[in-house]
Amino acid sequence: MPATPFMTQPPAIPKPSEPPLVEMPARKRPVVGIGGAGGGQSGQYPIIEAIKRGETPEPRRHESVMSAKHILDIQNFQLWYGHSKALHGVTLPIADGKITSIIGPSGCGKSTLLRSVNRLNDLVDGVRTAGSISLKGEDIYARGVDVISLRKRLGMVFQKPNPFPMSIFENVVYALRISGERKRRVLEEACEKALRQAALWDEVKDRLKSSAMGLSGGQQQRLCIARSIVCEPEVLLLDEPCSALDPIATLRIEELILEIGQRYTVLIVTHNMQQAARVSDYTAFMYLGRLVEYGRTADIFQLPRLRETEDYVTGRFG
Amino acid sequence: MTTGSATTVMPPTSGTSRGSKGSGASSVQGGWRLGDAVLGLACRGSAALLALMLIALIGVLLHSAWPAIKQFGPGFLVSSEWRANEIERPLRDAAGAVVIRDGEVVTETLAPAFGALPVIWGTAVSSLIALVVAVPISLGAAIFLVRVAPKLRIAGAASFLIEFLAAVPSLAFGVWALFVLAPFFQEHIGPWLLRTFGEVHALRWMFYEKVTVAGRTIERPIALTGRDLLSGSLILAIMILPIITSVSRDVLRTVPRAQIEGTLALGATWWQSCMAMLRYGRSGLLGAIMLGLARAAGETMAVTMVIGNNNQISPSPFAPAQTMASVLANEFGEATEGLHRAALLYIALILLAMSLVFNVIARRLVVGRAARSPGS
Repeated sequence: MPATPFMTQPPAIPKPSEPPLVEMPARKRPVVGIGGAGGGQSGQYPIIEAIKRGETPEPRRHESVMSAKHILDIQNFQLWYGHSKALHGVTLPIADGKITSIIGPSGCGKSTLLRSVNRLNDLVDGVRTAGSISLKGEDIYARGVDVISLRKRLGMVFQKPNPFPMSIFENVVYALRISGERKRRVLEEACEKALRQAALWDEVKDRLKSSAMGLSGGQQQRLCIARSIVCEPEVLLLDEPCSALDPIATLRIEELILEIGQRYTVLIVTHNMQQAARVSDYTAFMYLGRLVEYGRTADIFQLPRLRETEDYVTGRFG
Repeated sequence: MTTGSATTVMPPTSGTSRGSKGSGASSVQGGWRLGDAVLGLACRGSAALLALMLIALIGVLLHSAWPAIKQFGPGFLVSSEWRANEIERPLRDAAGAVVIRDGEVVTETLAPAFGALPVIWGTAVSSLIALVVAVPISLGAAIFLVRVAPKLRIAGAASFLIEFLAAVPSLAFGVWALFVLAPFFQEHIGPWLLRTFGEVHALRWMFYEKVTVAGRTIERPIALTGRDLLSGSLILAIMILPIITSVSRDVLRTVPRAQIEGTLALGATWWQSCMAMLRYGRSGLLGAIMLGLARAAGETMAVTMVIGNNNQISPSPFAPAQTMASVLANEFGEATEGLHRAALLYIALILLAMSLVFNVIARRLVVGRAARSPGS
């Protein structure tokens, strides 16, 4: 199927009324596409077409992100589900203390990549991997890695809020409980701290003992964020955390992500390009299991080096 | 869009349409067809018949048990006497000595009397022991079927085996218990238990029973025959394993993936995530256990064969006992006398009521949860 541009969607640039989260410089140089400037139907997206042919073209990784200090280093990472290959040699170093978003159309492997970071894909039948992912220099796919303690160093929030069927308090301190923490004082302090960081404390402080299932969807998702930061993870993984929420709740979560990003390294997968533009410092664009372009969010949205990226972030393609 | 054309091409078969001069959909929807009417009535009749059968069953039980209900009333539930025939025995005085008057032993005559306490005790204790044994095994098997077997690609085979266990006739279990389990217990486990724990004072109640012989209470060892409450309970446990396992498996399958992954992402071990799964499905699992309890309480043949059939209340698991179902199976054939028969049917009525209550609660728990879970 040829890549036909869709002209129906409006460009998805952040609205000017919103506070400028990213610097928006004027376009300085023309977008480069391999194989001549586009315009015609074919040859317009050479990288995408190469990927569709099964090739793995070299992605455009901007120096700005490659020169940053990295906490998580994904090197030539490949993953197979049975016989089908879902990730084709992704090299994606994640900057320490920043918010990095991964965007791309459905099935581009962004969630798979995220779930590879805390080895949640281990559970899936028939998964094989190659390449490496290192957290602070330690290869997490090396032999003898303790997956349980690895996961305790990473927090994860899922697409749909998944509070456990117990009280709000027990939800937040679950990670501490399963590590064997029993001291009431420690648990209470950790619970309050996490709930404050997740901007949920004021709403639930009077009903910590009541069931978490009674919270609204947005509150449940903030509870899940509180639950995942209670152990102060080194990286917080967010897998489309707003996809099941209404716009108001989404806005609150996005504000929360920005705030949490002050304290933690955040890696967020989203299919919502405005969200990536609003919350993240760096953005990676993936397509069919390959990294296409990776750089500062401002550059990806304003000065992408590939026509593919530009047309994807503006909604003309994808 | 096919209704209009369908009626035009359909040949007017005999007896299928009446008074349908109109064309199009109306002749199909409004038409009266003999076949439909007959089958519709048959379906309603079948449904009504089932309901009627249950009502008739309860009615007949009530009617047949009425003499016993009238005579013993609710006291039947707490009385432990069970005398099918009147008996004559020597009269004893306060000191327990036989009363002799004019050189002859004075006798007293005891009228037939019935009480359900020993069988209720036997049913309750055997069902509880069966649950204690079966529930951990069943939950373990259910977790295996949901979390491990699919990865090993043996989920289908393992499920089949467990469901096959449910299809084994209870008589087969009974025969196995009688000829294998009971002798094995009698020859190996029993003596070993007696050697090891027999002299432990705190466990004396298990191995010795107090009996009144000739007016004096003495303590005597219980014969470890292997045909006792424990054997009956173990065979019950085996028989309720399949139902608890298969219902638990279905309950655990409905636990959302996100719940399991949520716990794992927080660093839960495999076992901790399984516990979270059990917690998520707890009401459904309780329903599964209730279904097992209902089956245990009503199970008859296998239990009758190994429980020892003794109408007594003993705290020891090694003492022979009786359950409601086993006393029915044992004594119904010889219950010629009216009150005896009525007493047995009274027990049947209690059993029916109990099973009904267990099943209703279980259904509430299992189905109620299934109806709620998609929305949550």
